[in-house]
Amino acid sequence: MGAKGTSSADKSSPTTNSSFSIKELLLRGGSLVGLIGLSLVFAVLSPHFFTLSNWLNVFRQVSVVIILASAQTMVIISAGIDLSVGSLLALGGSLAAVAICYWGWSLLAGALLGVLVAGLVGLATGTIVAKGKIPDFIATLGMLGAVRGIALLITGGLPVPSHFTATELTGYLPAGLIWLGSGDIGGFPVSMMIAVGVVILTWFILNRTTFGRSLYAVGGNREAARASGINVDRVKALVYAVSGLYCGLGGLVLVGRMNSANALMAEGMELQTIAAVVIGGTNLFGGKGSVFGTLIGALLMGVLANGLNLLNVQPFWQRVINGLLIIAVVVFDQWRRRVLR
Amino acid sequence: MVTTEVQPMILLKNVTKIFPGVQALDNVSLDILPGEIHAVLGENGAGKSTLMKILSGIIPKDAGEILLEGKKVHFSSPAEAIEAGVSLVQQELSLIPSLSIAENIFLGRWPVRGLGIDWDKINRDTQELLQRFNIQENPQTPVENLSVAEQQLIEIMKAYSRPTTRVLLLDEPTSALSEEEVERLFGLLAEIKKEGKAIIFISHKLGEALRVADRITVLRDGKKVITVAKEDTSEEDIVFYMTGKRFKRSEPEATGEQAKKEVVLSLRNFSSDEFSAGVNLDVYRGEVLVIFGLIGSGRTTLAQTLFGLRRSKGEFLLERKKVHFSSPAEAIEAGIGYIPEDRRESLVYDLPVFANITLASYQKVARRGILNLDWEYATAQKMIQELQIKTPNIFREVLYLSGGNQQKVLLSRWLVSSPKILIMDEPTRGIDVGSKFEIRNLVKNLAHSGITVIYITSEPLEALEMGDRILVMRNGKVVKAIDNPQETTKSDLLALASGIS
Ligand SMILES: Nc1ncnc2c1ncn2[C@@H]1O[C@H](COP(=O)(O)OP(=O)(O)OP(=O)(O)O)[C@@H](O)[C@H]1O
Ligand SMILES: [Mg+2]
Repeated sequence: MGAKGTSSADKSSPTTNSSFSIKELLLRGGSLVGLIGLSLVFAVLSPHFFTLSNWLNVFRQVSVVIILASAQTMVIISAGIDLSVGSLLALGGSLAAVAICYWGWSLLAGALLGVLVAGLVGLATGTIVAKGKIPDFIATLGMLGAVRGIALLITGGLPVPSHFTATELTGYLPAGLIWLGSGDIGGFPVSMMIAVGVVILTWFILNRTTFGRSLYAVGGNREAARASGINVDRVKALVYAVSGLYCGLGGLVLVGRMNSANALMAEGMELQTIAAVVIGGTNLFGGKGSVFGTLIGALLMGVLANGLNLLNVQPFWQRVINGLLIIAVVVFDQWRRRVLR
Repeated sequence: MVTTEVQPMILLKNVTKIFPGVQALDNVSLDILPGEIHAVLGENGAGKSTLMKILSGIIPKDAGEILLEGKKVHFSSPAEAIEAGVSLVQQELSLIPSLSIAENIFLGRWPVRGLGIDWDKINRDTQELLQRFNIQENPQTPVENLSVAEQQLIEIMKAYSRPTTRVLLLDEPTSALSEEEVERLFGLLAEIKKEGKAIIFISHKLGEALRVADRITVLRDGKKVITVAKEDTSEEDIVFYMTGKRFKRSEPEATGEQAKKEVVLSLRNFSSDEFSAGVNLDVYRGEVLVIFGLIGSGRTTLAQTLFGLRRSKGEFLLERKKVHFSSPAEAIEAGIGYIPEDRRESLVYDLPVFANITLASYQKVARRGILNLDWEYATAQKMIQELQIKTPNIFREVLYLSGGNQQKVLLSRWLVSSPKILIMDEPTRGIDVGSKFEIRNLVKNLAHSGITVIYITSEPLEALEMGDRILVMRNGKVVKAIDNPQETTKSDLLALASGIS
């Protein structure tokens, strides 16, 4: 009776025993397998790749992305998305630098100001999302532009500290701030340690606190979370506030690394963080995911950029490859989900 | 070749399915004849839904064969199964809430006229179907405005109305229906049967299965126990096949004498936007108050309003204090719990079993926002044993549990949070006979321990068995409060609820 698929019946009936282990490894290991595989490829292709100094270099490159992507992980788990992370970073970093260089604030006061203001702006965004019943995407897209504008206003569009204003400077960037971005402890970059610390903190929040549990619940089933007594609006507002704080911290690290603040820094970083989160296996629609996955996702992108550089691949091609990688990973992830069902 | 005279519509040979940690189906062989209604029965987690999902191409089988009218088939997607004539109505409703009835029914096969979709035809055909099922709704009504029962009927209409359908698979189609709608559905199944189509249906209501099915297959722990003709078996036998135990049906325990009549909750002229008239009601501590009503009688709306899910008007006194809840969080804080009619409104499927069980209590146990995981694990472990929830461990996501076991997880959540007043809307929906019995006892024990239970049901027998008092609702009004249910009968209840006296 024209029953479809009759012919293909025998051949495609699933066999579970052949090549079981490799498939299983791919299924369970996910992006970690990708990271190791990619590293092996580069190790073979370039003698410089598998050296400690190169690895530390990779870490230095991605530490800011890791910090922001950790925040993004929490937001995405709660079924939101934060497109304003790059702008918040620029705001926090610029404000701290301006306060320290031009207003004569101490390092600590300036740094706190930058981080807190970024956190407050995040809280404002979150409140708009929660109370205004506006899609997260729209609210944070608006903030992406607005916050970047504020950062430009604060810095006057110039780097801080700047050559043009050098004569009026009350001070240069303090050594402590530069140390955050470029310093070492026992040969290991400070920025890397901060990033790892942030990942561990995020893991703790997600797995050991009521707030973290609420993030999963709200992201997984908003109505159910509400019906279980979770204050959904508060959770939503808070997660953006936490994201803002992380961005402020990221701003300090980045300013330290670049030895200068700039209102246009970290442009487009929101997309890198989202890519890291997705590569790390967190569900873009919320409800499940882990920050260690995100760490691996960020490293994977870092290793790719680093390896392609070592191999002298044209930067234009690097962009193409980077983009295709993201698609490939998500396709792989879909396959993985289907098979695991 | 098959030895029977008629060629089976569907023949399953040694179908096997293994999930991580669970053998869901173990060498199941089965034949379904054309023009047959075949019931598949078994305890929660026995593998019934898994079998349906395999037959309809939702999940692949690990081993075995499926023959459709003698031809070997392999469906790698529901679309292929539908094209070949096998349509499934899943246990969990899967309509698209924002689309209209008509759009849902014709989803993916909209008839075309010229360059556009033939909306006239869609609406006309839908109207016809609605009439046939005796549903008083407009084809253009969005599905989200319908009750669970109506949605269930729409799903069945959707599967049935596909022109290719030769085999109709119904996974617990009656669990959300009240008796009257069940009758309507069965009338329709009889007609479909006459058209020579085959129907497989799953139910936990054994009486119903025995009445409507031609043959019955029982599964236990993924294995087929038996296939028998209806005439050759009885309810007791089936329970035995399902559980491996002979049950002594103990008489429903007479509920305790109502001690001190202390009012815990009282409503005066209480209403929500949907109510035509206000509700007046007193609920006593430690009683099981059954609210009985047919679909659309306003029971669920009342429950949701009490729980702060809907805006309320009028007076609401809790332990003599005036309260007003604008969110469930406030209601929970004040000691009210609510198990909704549709578990999808309450379960977080991606969270593990333990986290779902503790979801309404973890904040109370946490100190300074830090989770107390030891307590959570121990509590979940205890509930799994108490309610016999079938799961490999407490870390499995609820998504992977069978429907009845999901329902038990939801029940556990509110047993753990031990509110003063627990509102349960059809709490035994989708739960197998044995467990149903246990859960009813559990609810009675809760009441004995001083928790007030508001128990919503559309099964008159359940109402009579459970209720210390019964409230009958119709059209958003309480039409009658019955203080001693012992002197009432099923037909009294039905008459009151439907307004035919
Ligand atoms: N996707 C899945 N992943 C892992 N385990 C699963 C999955 N689906 C079902 N199971 C397990 O397979 C077993 C059979 O489940 P199934 O849903 O078929 O039961 P059922 O007979 O329909 O039960 P119920 O009456 O509760 O609906 C259960 O133990 C269940 O936990
Ligand atoms: Mg089932």
